[in-house]
Amino acid sequence: MGFKIMPKSALADWVNRLRADYRVVGPQPRHGQYVFAEINDPADLALDYPTSVLPPKQYLLPPREVLFNFQNSGMRIEANIKVEPTVILGVHTCDMHAIRLLDHVHNNGYADQHYQTHRANTYLVSIECLKPCMEHSFCKSMGTLTVPEEFDLHLTDLGTAYTVDIGSEKGEKLLEGFDQVWDASDDDYQLLSRVLTEKWPRFSYRLDFDVTELPDILNLSQKSSYWNELGDRCLACGMCTKVCPTCYCFDVSDTVDLTLKNGKRIRTWDSCQVEEFALVAGGHNFRSKRALRQRHRFLRKGKYQYEAFGMVGCVGCGRCAQACLVHITPVETFNELYRRSQRTEPAEVKA
Amino acid sequence: MAKPKIAFFEFTSCEGCQLTVVDSLQDHPELLDAVEIVQFREAMSEKGEDYQIAFIEGSCSRPGDEAKLNEIREKADLVIALGACAHLGGVNAIRNRMPLEDVRKYVYGDKAEWYATYPARPISAVIPIDAVIPGCPIDRNEFIRAVTYLLQGRLPYIPDNPVCIECKLKGNVCVYHRGMTCLGPITLAGCDAICPTYGEGCDGCRGLISAPNIPALRTVLAEHGMNETDIEAKMTVFLTYQRMELEAADHDS
Repeated sequence: MGFKIMPKSALADWVNRLRADYRVVGPQPRHGQYVFAEINDPADLALDYPTSVLPPKQYLLPPREVLFNFQNSGMRIEANIKVEPTVILGVHTCDMHAIRLLDHVHNNGYADQHYQTHRANTYLVSIECLKPCMEHSFCKSMGTLTVPEEFDLHLTDLGTAYTVDIGSEKGEKLLEGFDQVWDASDDDYQLLSRVLTEKWPRFSYRLDFDVTELPDILNLSQKSSYWNELGDRCLACGMCTKVCPTCYCFDVSDTVDLTLKNGKRIRTWDSCQVEEFALVAGGHNFRSKRALRQRHRFLRKGKYQYEAFGMVGCVGCGRCAQACLVHITPVETFNELYRRSQRTEPAEVKA
Repeated sequence: MAKPKIAFFEFTSCEGCQLTVVDSLQDHPELLDAVEIVQFREAMSEKGEDYQIAFIEGSCSRPGDEAKLNEIREKADLVIALGACAHLGGVNAIRNRMPLEDVRKYVYGDKAEWYATYPARPISAVIPIDAVIPGCPIDRNEFIRAVTYLLQGRLPYIPDNPVCIECKLKGNVCVYHRGMTCLGPITLAGCDAICPTYGEGCDGCRGLISAPNIPALRTVLAEHGMNETDIEAKMTVFLTYQRMELEAADHDS
């Protein structure tokens, strides 16, 4: 199946058409940054956005979600799985790689029905990144600058039009009956080829080593004093994990109404950076220091998830670096650990 | 099951938290079916002295407050601090770093010596308490949630998260990125980040998380254009008592 062409002038019509059948969400400006939100007016859609405050994972794993409702009398439980066909427009390739990891996590072992339902009803329209979105992104180093196969439609900006790559039957469905798309011509292919070639030099490698070395570097850095330095600076505010496209830890709590008869079980995004995350019964906290929590975070992204799923947990989006008020960044952390691992320490002289 | 009898009391405060309790009845009139209120000056004239749960608003700021607090503690099975004044000493504790005589003269002028007063303290500094509902004012949803906990025979529980957690759950743009400053990273969540959501930085009315990194936040505030005096002022509004306690503990260690 070949590429299609959609002129930019047709975008608004297409979005309005989609809105008849789907909840359509996409990046929109808000207070100087961008957020994913429902598109009520196609003019609000900013497909050339740099990055978003929260990644699009919020539609697959909502920040707060009622898992089920219960009634205490008779112990009745009703699953709450909301089906809401949703088109996410303008997903960057780093976030597509993150969704790939989320899919793996939620489809294996104890498959997560809520995630799976959201995912099955989500249509991913990704967009090719043609220039670095902000100072903190390092997608090229992380190998996330091309789109993985999970897309339904993939757009590339050719100036006055988008090429549309159809990745699935779901993607085809989104274009069904829309007459302002047509097959790409030979000239379009040539232009697309040029655009895709020219984008690469605009991105620089930001890691001082190859990403395949990352798990080993982190493994050797477990006792590094650098974690204490991060721990001194870290506010433990947890923002890095909230904005991370591959963080999926959650907490579960029950609430009941004042009659104590009806209640619901809610899951909420949790964060390994807050004090209580690793607190267990009996009062022991096995990561009571901020340094240990930061170490856990970086090891999880760069080592544990790679070992468990064969995918590095950091996709280089840079959101955590942008959010961090004390300037803890993955690029600086990984590079600093690499530099220190290269240093040869003088051997201890035994007295 | 008999409805638990509850009573409300106030010490040095604006009674805004009790107003919020009244306000919560708009959404939750069924609260009146779940509990029996025997004393609540804000809403009724009757004064019952037989109660199991006491909600106390206000800080203890006068020697004379202590006897009443002790009496409530003796009568009630559970004592809950209601709002920032009872929980933290509230804005009343700003004066704790100032010479009390000066403060008294500033407030009462030539009648200064008519009024007995001393440093404002949270009620937990005077009597043991069982739980806290923080905030200035309290969050009405949190109040209702706390009551459901109590009805279940549990103590209200507030996760030890900073405000940033709830702020980011809502996808807010950080107020620091909007040119403002905020105490969210060191302040206990539970308010659903209401101030940042409406475009104002947090002032810390819910008190500190259990292990706040105050020095790091001071650096952040300075980077965002605040001088030492402004930083000190910002951390004084609600956090004076807790910070003085931390400073004293540091000094001891």
